[in-house]
Formats: sequence, C-alpha cells, structure tokens
Amino acid sequence: MNAFLSVDQIDKVFPLGGGNEYIALKGIDLEIKQGEFVSLIGHSGCGKSTLLNMIAGLDLPTNGYVLLDGETIQSPGPDRMVVFQNYSLLPWLTVRENIALAVDEVLAHLSPEERLAMIEHHIDLVGLRHAADKPPAQLSGGMKQRVAIARALAIRPKLLLLDEPFGALDALTRGNLQEQLMQICEENNVTAVMVTHDVDEALLLSDRIVMLTNGPGSKIGQIMEVDIPRPRKRLEVINHPSYYSMRSELIYFLNQQKRVKQLQARKKGVIARHGLEKVNLEIGFVPLTACAPLAIAKEKGFFAHHGLDEVNLVRESSWRGIQDGINMGYLDAAQMPAGMPVWLSLGGHGGDPLPVVSALTMTRNGNAITMDKRFYDQGIHTLNDLKRMLLETPDKQHTFGMVHPASMHNLLLLYWLAAAGIEPGKDAKVTTIPPAQMISNLQAGNIDGFCVGEPWNIRAAVEGIGYTIATDLEIFPGHPGKVLGVREDWATAYPNTHIALVKALLEACQYCMEPANHEEIREILARHDYLSTDIDFIHLGDPNPMVCGLHPSPKEYAHHIFSGKGVNRPSRTEHLWMMTQMARWGDTPFPRNWVEILERVCRVSVFSTAARELGLTDITYSRGAIELFDGIRFNADDPIAYLNDLAVKHDIYMADVALDSGLSRVA
Amino acid sequence: MVTNARMQTNGTNLGSSFQTFWKKNKDNILLPAIGVISFLAVWQFVSMTGITRLPPPSSIFTDKQTRILLLYPFMDRGGLDKGLFWQTLASLQRVALGYSLAAIVGIAAGILVGTKPMLNKALDPIFQFLRMIAPLAWVPIVLIALPNVQIAAIFVIFITSIWPILINTKVGVDQIPQDYKNVARVLKISPRKYFFKILIPSALPYIFTGLRIAIGLAWLAIIAAEIVMSGVVGIGFFIWDAYQQNYVSEVILAVFYIGAVGLLLDRLVAYIQTLILPEERR
Repeated sequence: MNAFLSVDQIDKVFPLGGGNEYIALKGIDLEIKQGEFVSLIGHSGCGKSTLLNMIAGLDLPTNGYVLLDGETIQSPGPDRMVVFQNYSLLPWLTVRENIALAVDEVLAHLSPEERLAMIEHHIDLVGLRHAADKPPAQLSGGMKQRVAIARALAIRPKLLLLDEPFGALDALTRGNLQEQLMQICEENNVTAVMVTHDVDEALLLSDRIVMLTNGPGSKIGQIMEVDIPRPRKRLEVINHPSYYSMRSELIYFLNQQKRVKQLQARKKGVIARHGLEKVNLEIGFVPLTACAPLAIAKEKGFFAHHGLDEVNLVRESSWRGIQDGINMGYLDAAQMPAGMPVWLSLGGHGGDPLPVVSALTMTRNGNAITMDKRFYDQGIHTLNDLKRMLLETPDKQHTFGMVHPASMHNLLLLYWLAAAGIEPGKDAKVTTIPPAQMISNLQAGNIDGFCVGEPWNIRAAVEGIGYTIATDLEIFPGHPGKVLGVREDWATAYPNTHIALVKALLEACQYCMEPANHEEIREILARHDYLSTDIDFIHLGDPNPMVCGLHPSPKEYAHHIFSGKGVNRPSRTEHLWMMTQMARWGDTPFPRNWVEILERVCRVSVFSTAARELGLTDITYSRGAIELFDGIRFNADDPIAYLNDLAVKHDIYMADVALDSGLSRVA
Repeated sequence: MVTNARMQTNGTNLGSSFQTFWKKNKDNILLPAIGVISFLAVWQFVSMTGITRLPPPSSIFTDKQTRILLLYPFMDRGGLDKGLFWQTLASLQRVALGYSLAAIVGIAAGILVGTKPMLNKALDPIFQFLRMIAPLAWVPIVLIALPNVQIAAIFVIFITSIWPILINTKVGVDQIPQDYKNVARVLKISPRKYFFKILIPSALPYIFTGLRIAIGLAWLAIIAAEIVMSGVVGIGFFIWDAYQQNYVSEVILAVFYIGAVGLLLDRLVAYIQTLILPEERR
C-alpha cells in the first residue's frame, strides 16, 4: 500500500443545543501519497478546516479514522505540524525563541549545537536573518507567516498541514511566499495538505485538489489532478495549456455549490394547476442561438398558453451545469446536446446510470468547425490539408475544443477527424471548454480549433480570429443538435406536464422557423437574459449566406433548423448512432441491452401525443438510414457490426447497463 | 567675554525651552491647580460661615498641635505618640505583608482554578460569596478567630485584596488563546514549559490588572481595620484616636496623607507593570 496518509470514511458530527446535531462531514475518503501536495477547497463552512484538524489530531472524527503511516491518529503530535491561519506565534518570544521553543521540545534528542544549527538554518531558509531577534509584533503579516512556516519545517514533520496560510496577506507577499513554500516542499519532499479558498493558489501549489461540497454533510465532490510539471513558476503556470480549463472547472464547481444552495432555498414544492401535475418548472439552457425555442416559448407565451405559467429559464454557462442540474434534480427539464440523454443513461458522467428521456428534438444543424487563423495562412483549407499538417508536425500537440463529451460537436469533430485517419487523442487532443469561452481560448492559443454551435463560429470569422474549415452541412446534414431532456422519473411523475412542455416547445419551434419572425427572435436572443451578445452575431436566416468570406470555397452558413418535416420527432436511429459514436471513443460502454436503452430514452409516444393534440401530421415520418460525408452507411439493425467495421476507434467495451426502475427515484 | 556669551546663549536656551514646556503643559498644570484651589476656597468659605462644624483647611496651619504634626512627621515620643511618617510606615508594612500574601495565594489559586474547570465549578460560588464581604465586616470575625491584633489586621488586608487577584488570574488563564494551546498540543510541550512559556506570559496582563485593583483595596482595608483595632501604631488608628479626642484638623491632615499614599501605591504597581510587560501587551 502506498498511501502515506489515509482518511477512511470519516464523519464529523457536532452536537448542538437542544439535542440537535450538525453533520459537518460525511463519508470522507482520501488517500495521500508521500511527497504529495494536496489542497482542500470549498466554500466557508464546508468543513475543510475541520477535516484538516482531524488529520492534525486536534479534533477527532465521530466515525471512521485517519491513518498516518499505518497508525491511527488519536491526538495531535509534532509529526503533523500545523501552520495556522493566524500564525499563532507567541508574542512574548522573539522569532528565534519561537522557533527554538518548537525545536528544543521536539528534537530534544539532538545535541544543543545541532538544535541551534537547525534553528539558524530555518531562519535563513525563510530569509529572516535580519529579524531573528525581533518579537512578532514588529513583523509584517508575511514575515510572521514565514516564521510560522520555518517553525513548522524546523521540526521535520512527516506531514505539513496548512490552514489558509496566505489568506490574510496582500497579493504580492502571497505570491512570493507561495513560491518559497513550493520550493521548500520540493527540495525536502514534504507531504502537505493545505486548506484554501483561492483557486489560483490551489492550482499553483497542488498535485491534487480536493473539492468539498457545501455543508451540512459535506463530502468530496470531485478530485482534480493538476498535471502541470514541476518546478512551477507563478507567472508561467498560467500559460500551461490545461491551466485555464482546470481553473474554470474549479470555479465552476464552487459556483455550482453556491447555486445549489440558492436553488434549494428557493424551491417551493410542486404547484399543480390546469390539470397538469406541475406548472412551476426550472428549465436549463446554455446561451446559444439554438436556445431560441425556449426563449420564444417563454417570451411569446407558449408555455403559459399550455398551462405552464410558472416557467423559469435557468441560464447555465456550460453543458456541465445542465448535466449537474439534471443529475441533482434542481432542474426539471433542460435543453441538452443531442447525445446527453443516452450518455447520462449509460453513466457517462461517471456515476450510476441516470435514466434520462428525450421526447423532442429542438434544433438541427447550426454547428461548424473553426480553426485558428494562422492555419489559414499556412494554406490549410480542407480536412486533407489538416491531416498532412498534423502528420508533418508529430512533435507538436494540437488541441481542439468542444463543449461536452456527449454533444454533437464532439461526435462530429471526432468523426470528421477519424474519417481522414486522424486518431483523436493521439494525433490531436480534444478538450472540453464552455461555448462562450471558445473564442478567448482560441485567441490565447490554448486551442488550435474548435467545434461549436453558432454564434461562435461566425463571430470568430468576423473578428478575424479564426475561419470555418467545415460546417455540419458537409459532415452530417440535418443532424440533431439540441434536444429536450428530462429525467425518466420526472417524466413518469408528471406525464401531462411533459406533454404540455413538448407542445409548447413544438409551437415555439414552428414560430422560430417563420422568416417573418426572425428579426424579433434575434432581438430577444440578444437580450441580457439570453445570449447577451451583439445582435449582428445572431443569424437565423440569410442576409449573408456565407459564414466565412475569406475562404476560397466559402462555406454555406449552417443555419439552425427548428421545425419542418421530421425535424422535431425524436429518432431512435439517431440516438443509436450517437450511442455507437460514444462507445467508439471509449466514453461510454456499448450496452448489450441497447434495444431496451433506446426504448427508454427515446420517447416517441410523448412526441406523437403532443403533435396529434396540436393537429400536426408528421407523426409517422421515417428518417431512413444515416449516411455521413465519408459514404459509410449506418445500419441501425446491427450497430455492433458497424462499430467493428470502423477503421479508427478506441477500445470499445460492451456491458449490460442496468437502469433503475424509473419510479424508485421520484424526486 | 566668550564665556559670557556662551552662558548667555545657554540662558536663553533654557528660558526658551521652559517657555515651550509651559506652552505645551499650561492647561495640564493650570486647570488642576485652579480646581484644587477653588475646592479649598469653597471649603474654607463654608466652614467660616458656620454651617458645618468641620474646620476649614486653614486649620492645619492655625491649629497648634496639627501644625506640629505637619512640620515634624519624623518625631517619636514613644508609645502611640509618633509622627505621621511613622504612623504611615507602620500601616504600609502591614499592607505589604497582607498584599504579598494575597498576591502569592491569589495567583496560585487563580491558575489552579483557571486550568481545572471542575475545581472552578466547585469553588466559584464560595469566591463570589466571600468577595462581597466588606473589609469592616471581617474585623469582628478575625478579632474573634485570631490571637492578636497585628495578625488580624494583616488577615483583613489579605482577605480583601485576594479576590481581584484570584479572579483576574483565573480569567487570564481562561483567556489563553486557543491558538497558543493548539501550538502547545501539536508540539507536545511539557507541562512545565507550558506553564512558564505560555500560561504565565499569556495571563500576565490580567494578573497585573488584578494586582492594581487589589493594591487600592488593600490600602482601603488597612484604614478600616486599624480604625476598629485600637491600640496599634498606624494611620487608621491615628484618625480614630484624633476623632475621639476631637482633634478634627488632625483627621483632615491624616486624610491628606492617606490619599497621597494611595495614589503613590497605584503609580508604583503601574510602574512595575511597565517594567515587566512590553508596551503592546499592557
């Protein structure tokens, strides 16, 4: 076993007055290797300091135990020295005496000369020679913290515990101290656990960052590996390609925790009205031109018309937010990337399979692949040019951005690359970035290209940052873009609400397809509540049918299709195709019970009922087989043979995916 | 000539420095002086109108016997007939003994009670009860309980002045910041070292506050004790004796002595505090 410190199933319960109790931490499990630097991050009151105190032994867990080097921690000890947030220096002792107090006590087995040498060495280590005989009151905050660090290191602890060590310092001092601490830790191979609320500090110092959810009952929400090579420099780490995405993931996590709290506080139960089981709906969306049906249904009263008069649209900045909102149940429904219902149902998010159903395809098309402008200048105008360039520069890592592993952008991008024999992950890296951050990442050089929905491709072209190398019209014309997704248990609990929701959105889709309404829709989408962007970047129909004027063969603008024959009907074939693509890249298993999964995800019956009640006639429409730009036909009867025939693919694994009964998880 | 000139400049320097001193401190000297003089003047006026039998302040000089006491504080005619300096010194010796005892016992008990919460719970009601008993109320009890008047007087001082010391020490020990205790716990500091390096320095400001309150109380108590315990040399009994013999102006003179000594004692403890505690922790 190589765990140096292991925290095993810890609970911490504080008794409150009146026989109540407060559960601070619940089921914390953590293993830390020798020499590792781990940060604990979370909002105030999430119990991160409590966890640190339990590792220190200053506080004992209610259940579970902490093992250091195989021994249970029962009391504090100098092998786990703590650097306290407020320094905790003794004001009546000088700097030297403060350090000496610790050294003389803990290293009593050494001779007085050795101890003195130790003390002097550590005074020099933190550069406080000139202040060695001053009392702490005459030192600045940064100097005091340096004394505290020197005192902690001087006694050679096995484990260094830091409780927001730089929280009270000004930015400049903090930066210098962080670098000093990092250097000392690296040189002495110190194992450290640090509590912090500073995202950049955590990224700079840590090998791993442990994110704690909000209390009561805080748990580890997520653990992030920080793969930035050491030694790190404060001003250089921010240029590391993955710094930005790690930082946004941390910030996303913290924001999400804050929002969950707010949404839980706002939750007002189920309001049933007009013969519907629930009329107060929280519907998630991501600001893209494709969110038009939701915006229109809300602004033009289609929701209210169908009895849903308390709909609240929740703007998420990334698909990750939608995923978590549906997973944690604080969103009733959401606009989802087409692959997300299947992906969640197969457990692609890393948890238990979460059955999600889709009864409506809201948009098709509207996506494109954009490359950095400099590639255009290098003459890379087609997929084959790109392949040649990638093969010529094998030593250079090229990275593409996409918005979510389950989004059509990812699947199309990977399919497009693979069709030319480019192996994703090997010849080109693909990374997840929220849509609105694509352009800034492209501009910063963190990525070389991206596949994303409008308006971001046209914006990159207009601003001269990138150019459109391919639109979805050239790859998979008429592919599903965004779908309506709800949890299966939600659909089971509120069947009539589900139908009303589909009806309202179907009408909104029709409204969006009417050219006469386009000006109005663009104006609504540009508003602060929705895309909050310049109206010139939002296009629904022509004026200018070309997305990228500078291209030698200008690309036809891949306009969103909101409505039309067979547009909105959910298609089992398409969901199956996406299932094969996700399995192709090893993102989800390919379910042996794929027929069952498809039946559960793809709710044609809800769509048919809604369409019939609206008097629409495309109920029996059949899409037929799927054939992409490379000419390979997708045979929906034998997806496994199709997968086997694909030339470029990752390891595919088959599994039985057991879905819970939809009724058991009613929220 | 040269020397003369130098002396002259020195003289003007001295003169100008006195002027700046006077400018700065004019209000600090002039206003209290005006206050004291007005107070004495009103007293003098009221006494001369005959509203009260209290003699005017001028009687300290006009009354012959009092004038002797005022002018010869060091006289010693044997027995109880001693100058005011000796009377005061005798009282001060008693205070020194009782107060020292109170300080030693009070600090020790305060630390004990402060570090042992159980003991604190058990004893706190007794402390709070005893604390409220006025020095005069102790006198009959100690006169019955103790064999001689000297010891009884010292005990009254002890029992009056111990409470602020004990209670402040206890609070000081209670208030040792958790941070310091955590440092001690993490470093596993030995009890002896904890006592001298953390507990005492941390509680010291509180202990001094207690000592300073206690010195005032001790001085109050000695007067009360001596007034009641007849037949001892001391400023308290001196007042009582003078009253019995209707030497009212002597009483007034002794009261001036008591006030002045009380002021000096308080300043003395404050000065010791400045010697021991660094500036930022006072």
